[in-house]
Parts: sequence; structure tokens; C-alpha cells
Amino acid sequence: MKKFFKLDKGTYLEFGIATLLMIVNIVLTQVFPYFTKHKVYYDSAAYDVVLVIAWVLITLKLFLGKKKSTVDLGIVIFGFFLLWEVSYKLGWLHNDLLIPSPEGLFHVYVEKSAEITKDVWGSITLLFWGFLLAAVFGTLLGLLAGWIPRIREVLLPISNAITLIPPLMFSAYMIMILTTFRQAAIAVIFFAVFWPTFQGMVQRVGQIDPQITQAARTMGVGTMGMLWKVIFPYCLPGIIGSISKSLRGAFMCLAGAEMLGINLGIGYFTDKYKAFADYRCVLAGIVTVGVLTTVIDMAVNKARTALIKWE
Amino acid sequence: MAGQEGRETEIKQSEYKLEIKNVSFDYVDKKSKFEALSGIDLNVKQGEFICILGSSGCGKSTLLSLLSGLNKPKSGEILVDGKKIKGPGVDRAVVFQHYSLFPWLTVKGNVLFGIKQSGRKLGRKERSELAERYVESVGLSSAKDRYPSQLSGGMKQRVAVARALALESDILLLDEPFGAIDPRLRLELQELVSKLCTEHQKTVVFITHDVDEAILLADRIVVMEPGKIRSIHKVKFDHPRIREELSGTEEYEKLHRQLILAFYDRVGEQIDAGVAL
Repeated sequence: MKKFFKLDKGTYLEFGIATLLMIVNIVLTQVFPYFTKHKVYYDSAAYDVVLVIAWVLITLKLFLGKKKSTVDLGIVIFGFFLLWEVSYKLGWLHNDLLIPSPEGLFHVYVEKSAEITKDVWGSITLLFWGFLLAAVFGTLLGLLAGWIPRIREVLLPISNAITLIPPLMFSAYMIMILTTFRQAAIAVIFFAVFWPTFQGMVQRVGQIDPQITQAARTMGVGTMGMLWKVIFPYCLPGIIGSISKSLRGAFMCLAGAEMLGINLGIGYFTDKYKAFADYRCVLAGIVTVGVLTTVIDMAVNKARTALIKWE
Repeated sequence: MAGQEGRETEIKQSEYKLEIKNVSFDYVDKKSKFEALSGIDLNVKQGEFICILGSSGCGKSTLLSLLSGLNKPKSGEILVDGKKIKGPGVDRAVVFQHYSLFPWLTVKGNVLFGIKQSGRKLGRKERSELAERYVESVGLSSAKDRYPSQLSGGMKQRVAVARALALESDILLLDEPFGAIDPRLRLELQELVSKLCTEHQKTVVFITHDVDEAILLADRIVVMEPGKIRSIHKVKFDHPRIREELSGTEEYEKLHRQLILAFYDRVGEQIDAGVAL
């Protein structure tokens, strides 16, 4: 326990400031809900919960990770929210419709919880299938093409040409030719992820240390053994490292595809409320995408450290 | 060349483990052709320890790459047990200067890879025990679960030796294995390799540019000049050889001097005979 609290005085001071910022913010939401008359009031519970969760996460990270920069991050985050809160309450933000109060923003998650859950889940399933198919096939084909020149020389020029077309341009066409929105969305993600994955894999195989493959050859490793037992594990850190990047690309395409006419997912949610001119919900949709991608990113990093023990 | 090999001809052909017959090799690129080896002849008996001694660029590593099967000779042929080799194979294990361990496998995992490649039919448990025995034989039991990135150069080379032994091949090819290892550790590793090769009755071709290393290890030392074999020297000291006991004896000094002369002759001509000797 003693070790847990071992941080220097300056850090404690900064941590105190961050905590104070958060407490002042919560007090403001509770004590002065009607600071100016003409503003819209939303229940502040969701916002308060978000602040407390953020504080708990930052505290844990600070004391477990012993990284001083965490506390700076805390000050920036709570400072930003307090500034927003105060600006709103003092009436500095003129357009209530375009810039909501933080309470208003986070209250969306209470009002429309069922809808958001459905749309987030929808986005995740689309992403999962599209990404999984593309990553598996892209990696396999890239492995083959990377190692066998004849396959590479056929596929690489084709992929070079196709990757230059923005995947979103496919989506309108995909929606036309495929029978369901789900299929169309999955197809768009597939095209967004497949070719970059393939090219990345070809490149990684090309950069493999020839000393490793030579050693394997002298040990009598054949083509299949080379692909599976040598090149694949050798490239695995690179493959996992590229996942978060291509997931981000996939998410962008998904959100775009959803906005272009697929009636499911968080992109669709955002687009729908844009049409209703409910920018509070639009902002909530944007925040959701941010949180979702961050969570996925963190999960991928965790998986990487669990899987790749040798680096 | 033929004259030097003539001494060996009293032994019957079939008794050779490894035969190099009139082997030549060129490095070819778009503009030029470089003849790395021309007409190499060498026969190695079962259980013999051969050191190939030469300065850099003399083609000794090229010769090893031909023996391992990674490169194919332009002309001539290489026979193992009387059969022409067609490429790399588990009958010839190779230890490189650059270790080339598989970074994603632990010490034990690397050795297990060798055992699996050797094609022996063993159960999971037997394989694991065997791997641990090989790891122990190179003195790395306490590091068996570490990854190569966590090992020093000397330890990595021990793993590479264990992995090569695990292939259970009769022939062991080593390409300047201790070139990148500091001198004190090098001596330890030389003694280890010498001991293990005797124990496992390996036929060994060991590439080096270190005269002392060659004397300590070899039954015969083949001195190379660019592209060719210059001379072959027999080493008659008993095993195990202890460096401290050998050096200073008259025979050792004599052999050492012979080798230095053979080794530096060509280089000496090019630079300055006085400096080379």
C-alpha cells in the first residue's frame, strides 16, 4: 500500500488541482443549474458520472502506472470541461442549438440509450465481419504473394491500381448491387481493409531477414513450413501492429458508408440527427465513435502484449 | 591441388563422408562476373574435423554455402555418403556467424524446432526432454525459457549450436561461428564445440580466419587463397586440447609458423611481406 502512494509532492499538487477542477465542475452542475434564464436545462447526472469515471480512470492510471504525465492529461481534460461548463453557464456560447452544454451532450446517452446501444452494436458487428474477412484473406494472400514471386508479380500491380480508388466510392455501387445494407457495409469495409492488408503483408515478407529464412532452409524447411512456421510468426508483430491502423481506416469507411445510405450503425445515427438538425445528438454520435475506436485500439494493444512476448 | 589430395587417395572412395569434386562457383551480376571458387577438390572422412582457414574474400564462406546447399556450384559436384546433394537438407546442420535464431521462439523452442525438423518420431514429452538435454549440453538450462532478444551473443551462439546438434545430422557446417564473440568467451565456446563434436561423432567443416582457433579444433586445416586451396595441414595433437598447454610447445609453434606463412603469403605479396610477418 505504501508503494501505491509513492509519488512526489509536485505530482500530488497537480493531482489535487485536477481533482479540484472536477469537483468544482460537479458542484456547478448541481448548484447552479439555472445560471442564465434562456438556456436549456438537461439532467446533469450523465455528465457527472462521466466526470467521476474519468477521474477514477486517471487516478488509477496515475497510481498504478506511476506516470507523471497522466496528471497533466487530467488537468487538461477537467480544465476543458470546466471551461465549457462555465462558458455555457455564463452565456458565452450564443447558439444553444449548435453548441450544447456538456450536460446536454451526455444526457443524450440517457435519452437515447436503446438507440445508441443498437447502433453501436450494429457498427461493431459490421466492422467485425468486414474486418475479419479482409484481414484473414489479405494476410494469407499477402503471405503467399510475398514469398512466391510469380504470384506477387500478378497481384501487386492489380492491388496498386485498386488501392488508389477511395473505398467509399464503391459504397454507393455496393448498396445498389448487394441485397442488404449489411452486406453492402461489410463489402465496403472488406475493400477498405483487404488491399492495404495485402500490400502491407507483401512488404513485410519482402523485408524478412534473409538470414532467418536461410537458417530455416538449411534445417530442411519446405515451402509450407516456411510460410507457416517461419514467415508468419516472424511477421506477426507487424501484422498485429497494423491492425489498429487498418481498423481505424475501416471505421472511417464504415461511418462514411453508413452516412451514405446504410440504415444501421453509429454513422447512420449521426447522419439521421444531422437531418433533424439535432446537433446535440450529432455530437454525441461523434463522441461515441471516438470512444469506440479508442477502446478497440486499447484492446488491440493489450492483445499484442499478450501475444508477442519476444520483443 | 591434385598433388596435395594425392596423400588421401589410399583411402577408398566410399569411406569419405563428404566429397567436393572439382567445384567452381561464380558470383554473377548484370555487369560483371566474379569467380569465387575454381576447381576445389576436398574429401572429408567420417568423424573428421576440418578447419578451412582463409582471409576474407577467399571464398571460404562461399564454399560453405555450397556445402549447405544454399547455393549450387557452377560446375563440379558435392557428394554426401556418395550421393550428390541437390539443396539444403537435414543431413547437414549449419551454424552461422549471425546466429539466426528464430526470435519468436524461446531457447528451448528453437532447439525443439531443430528436433521437429530432424524428422524423428517422438512423443511430445520425449521431444521436450530431448530439447532440455540439448540445452543443458550447451550450459543454458537456466535460460531455457528466455527469448533470443534477451540473450548475449555468446549465449545465442550456444543456442544455435544446440539447435544444429538437435537436427542429429552427421555433418556439421560452421561458418565463422565465433567471429563476433569476445575472445574469452570464444575460447569457452571453442572447447565446447570441440567436446560436443567428438561426443556426437560429427563430421565437421569449420570456417575460420583465426589460426589459433584452427589449431585448437581441427584434425586437418585447409588453407585457402582466393578461389583455391593453397595447402592442407594435418594437426596431430591429442584431444582434448588445452590452449595453455599447447601453445609454447615446439610442435605447436612449428605448425603455427607454417600456417601463418601459408595464410599470409598472398596477402603479404599484396601489401608488404615485412608487415604481414
